Amino acid sequence: MRALRRALVAAALLTAPLLAQESAASGALVSKALELESAGKNREAVLAWRAVLASGAVLPGVLGLERVFSMLGQEDSLLVVLDTLIPRLPREGALRSAQLRTLATVGLEEQAAAAFRAWRDDAPRDVAPYREYARVLLFNNRASAADTVLREAEAALGTTRALILEVAQMRAALGLWKDAASAWREAMRDQPYFESATIFSLTPTPAPQRDAVRAELAAADAPLGATQALAFLEAAWGAPRSGWRVLSALPVSDTAVAIWREFADESERLRAWTTARDVLVAIHGARPDAAVAIRAATAALAADDAATTLRLARDAAARLDSTRALAEALPLELEALARMGRATETVEVLRRAERVLGPDGARRYARTIAWAWIRAGDVAKARTALKDAPLEADDAVAGWLALFDGDLAAARAALRHTETPGQDAVSALSLLNRTRETRAPSIGAAFLALARTDSAEAARRFEAAATALPDAAPLLLALAARIETSRKDDRRALALWQRVAVEYAEAPEAPEAHLEWSRGLRRGGDVAGARQRLEHLILTYPKSALIHQARRELDALRVGAAAGASD
Amino acid sequence: MITVRPKILLAIALAVAGAFVTVAGATRAEAQHLLVPMDDAQTNHLKAYGVAFNALGEGARSEWLLNYRGGSFLVPDIPALRRIAALAGVSFEALDGTALAGVRREIAEGNMDAVPLEKAPRIAVYTPPDAPPWDDAVTLALTYAGIPYSKIWDDDVLNTDLSQFDWIHLHHEDFTGQQNKLYLGFRDAPWFVQARERDLATARRHGLANVPALKKAVAERLRAFVERGGFLFAMCGATETLELAIAARDVDIAGPFSDGTPMDADGESKLDWSRTFAVQDARLEYAGGVNAMSDIDGHQVNVPSRRQPLGTFTLFGFSAKFDPVATMLVQDHRTVINDYFGVTTSFLRRVLKPGVTVLAHEEGAPWVKYVHGTYGRGSWTYLGGHDPEDPQHNIGAPPTDLALHPSSPGYRLILNNVLFPAAKKKPLKT
Repeated sequence: MRALRRALVAAALLTAPLLAQESAASGALVSKALELESAGKNREAVLAWRAVLASGAVLPGVLGLERVFSMLGQEDSLLVVLDTLIPRLPREGALRSAQLRTLATVGLEEQAAAAFRAWRDDAPRDVAPYREYARVLLFNNRASAADTVLREAEAALGTTRALILEVAQMRAALGLWKDAASAWREAMRDQPYFESATIFSLTPTPAPQRDAVRAELAAADAPLGATQALAFLEAAWGAPRSGWRVLSALPVSDTAVAIWREFADESERLRAWTTARDVLVAIHGARPDAAVAIRAATAALAADDAATTLRLARDAAARLDSTRALAEALPLELEALARMGRATETVEVLRRAERVLGPDGARRYARTIAWAWIRAGDVAKARTALKDAPLEADDAVAGWLALFDGDLAAARAALRHTETPGQDAVSALSLLNRTRETRAPSIGAAFLALARTDSAEAARRFEAAATALPDAAPLLLALAARIETSRKDDRRALALWQRVAVEYAEAPEAPEAHLEWSRGLRRGGDVAGARQRLEHLILTYPKSALIHQARRELDALRVGAAAGASD
Repeated sequence: MITVRPKILLAIALAVAGAFVTVAGATRAEAQHLLVPMDDAQTNHLKAYGVAFNALGEGARSEWLLNYRGGSFLVPDIPALRRIAALAGVSFEALDGTALAGVRREIAEGNMDAVPLEKAPRIAVYTPPDAPPWDDAVTLALTYAGIPYSKIWDDDVLNTDLSQFDWIHLHHEDFTGQQNKLYLGFRDAPWFVQARERDLATARRHGLANVPALKKAVAERLRAFVERGGFLFAMCGATETLELAIAARDVDIAGPFSDGTPMDADGESKLDWSRTFAVQDARLEYAGGVNAMSDIDGHQVNVPSRRQPLGTFTLFGFSAKFDPVATMLVQDHRTVINDYFGVTTSFLRRVLKPGVTVLAHEEGAPWVKYVHGTYGRGSWTYLGGHDPEDPQHNIGAPPTDLALHPSSPGYRLILNNVLFPAAKKKPLKT
């Protein structure tokens, strides 16, 4: 606090000599006034700032009074002070600015306009009156009036070049997004640090007008600040990849890399992992650095890009000392290899590291190794991997292994406690809760195919398992149908959904089957059929959780049909 | 909260009173009428109006039970209506003769009444041909509720017989022809330029000199529509500018940016308020740089120095038996509603004619929100504001998704207006 006060005193005194001979006592008076102000003793501070004024330090005194009168809700009290000072110091713009601000704050708009005119007439070639009054008007949401002032400035001064910042703000406030973008671009030619203000100003641009803003900021001769602003705007508008496309075209330089670093931070904040990966990879390419490589590998893993994770983790490991490599790069390398199902390599990497990690350290990766073998389709080796690191009976990996073996009873017990259930786990738990069977190898084979990411085989096996497990048949068919839907095989998916809807009308999956059936029909252009399915769903399953979605889609079909009819 | 399975409830209710509750057609029973409740038991108030409207389309005799459970509807228990209600997610309760007699007894004893609904009104919305459904709150509400309507625009108003419609809605059109003075901020916006060119072309087709002249001619036709017995419902800026355009039939009140000539400096004194629906003695805004037409609107949202903050407005209660029209217009499950801005948000009391019925006002404020009156053989209703579920509506803002506001009390006011022309006129009780 003391440091802040010292800084304020220094700043206040820096301005004082401009106005009057500094008295020796001014510094002490300013310091005392600031102390009272920061202690919240505003009434006493008024007296103190008046004393500062009397000592000859006019500007610090006026600005101090402006602050404390504002705190006391007595802004108009400053007007009396200014009315006395301005005739004595007519060329002092700061006093005129304070006058404009105060008049606008207390709602004396006519007087504010008159004060502006008086200032303008006293300094006819000076841009300051226009700038300050336009700022006051913009601050008070009077963009149209600011427009008038700025046009007057253009007429009087021949240009608004010196007012480009205010022009940009005014245009944005009026919703003239394209023109605002153009003004911001020009403002950044001389003042590149306005990119944050540009982003703040243009973020509210409505979607239909964004292309015009893009065109302005991406103009061939646009300054770097405009490019940077456009990239961050794209991110703010929900398209960080488009933002990176803009920035990735920059030639490598320290400035470009600094901007990329900011954009990487933003992409990570937005959890836009594929974009974050690409930005960090570019930074690493331009300025190789182990920490950046680790960040890039982490982003790649989050983006489910195991191959890039592996490459970057190995690159980082080569740049780090062995301790940091084991702590930061090895987990990423192992996880990437496991996800790709490169089990032999995963085991080999861990074996090499074991010399440093020791047996206990290596055992921590037993589950990763097991998953690597599962991905590779070798459940027996997954079990072997876990031999020296026995899992708790209710460990999720043990549950999955039991499920792959078709041991539904063991899987049921273990998977119940799975901590982070993904879509596969949700499917497995649904099935285990539905059927009373304790053993079903066909189910194990289907889930194993899913774990190996062989979706076509998984769908086929789930459909086949429906015959073996009649009490879970609709669920198994629905699992197969969901896989086919995600594979975009509408023909196969539709056939499966129809089976669920028709043959298992009482099953919990039936409403979903009708909804998906409807969607499939709609995609195929059969609007009437789609509508009929939705109506059937709503009328037959009034308690279904999907009913609101069905009504929404029915409304959309109705409005779409009406729009089509009127075209 | 106690939940009861419909079948158990059915058994209990049949045993005790012969009535039971069902939601969205979950249970079928023998009954003679369906009560569509409009209090908090209703799950989709807005689509309930669509059910009542469709009942009229089916030729079924329906009733609007004013002040009974939020302004409920009574429709015949026919499969088609059950199906419509169930598809729309509208709650209903089946009533047998005994239960219905109980309802009627309760209505007879309180400030309630049953108004027969006779025939589905023919609805027209005055809107540009290319306007999307979400461009104004009424088309949004009609589309969501499943109520059919026709679109009319300047050529239709000037060339066709408006008596083919029972009810016409106007939204944010500026009938003074100044495009809501958006010239000040949007003169170069493509949509603004396009709208101006379109209106100019229409004016020329009809031998009129400019857009203000065109809009005045349209306003005059709308005035005549009401005078001859039509129902007119206006919201937002259409309310204020329609009044001004009618009063200024022979006076230039448009700024030079719209017709090339300055406003008549003495125009205010020449306005003929005897011809308007609701307003008298309003003052014109002469400053071209001020985005306001007059002092009719209390909120002046587009004039920052005059803008008033939003509060809440309260619906008045009327005697259902003696003042059924006003009662219909304020049927709602809420009486205090959050206010919302529009080009015209409210109406200063000072400028309202003595015969105007105030339907809703803001407590302690010099303005009112919702007004109604008769004119010639017809009637009109004005509701201030643009979109009841988008209080700060801005140009370019995304459309309101009514599926997220199925029980919007503000939108109910709009739909009351749609349905009220269907009500059979009953002789007033004396």
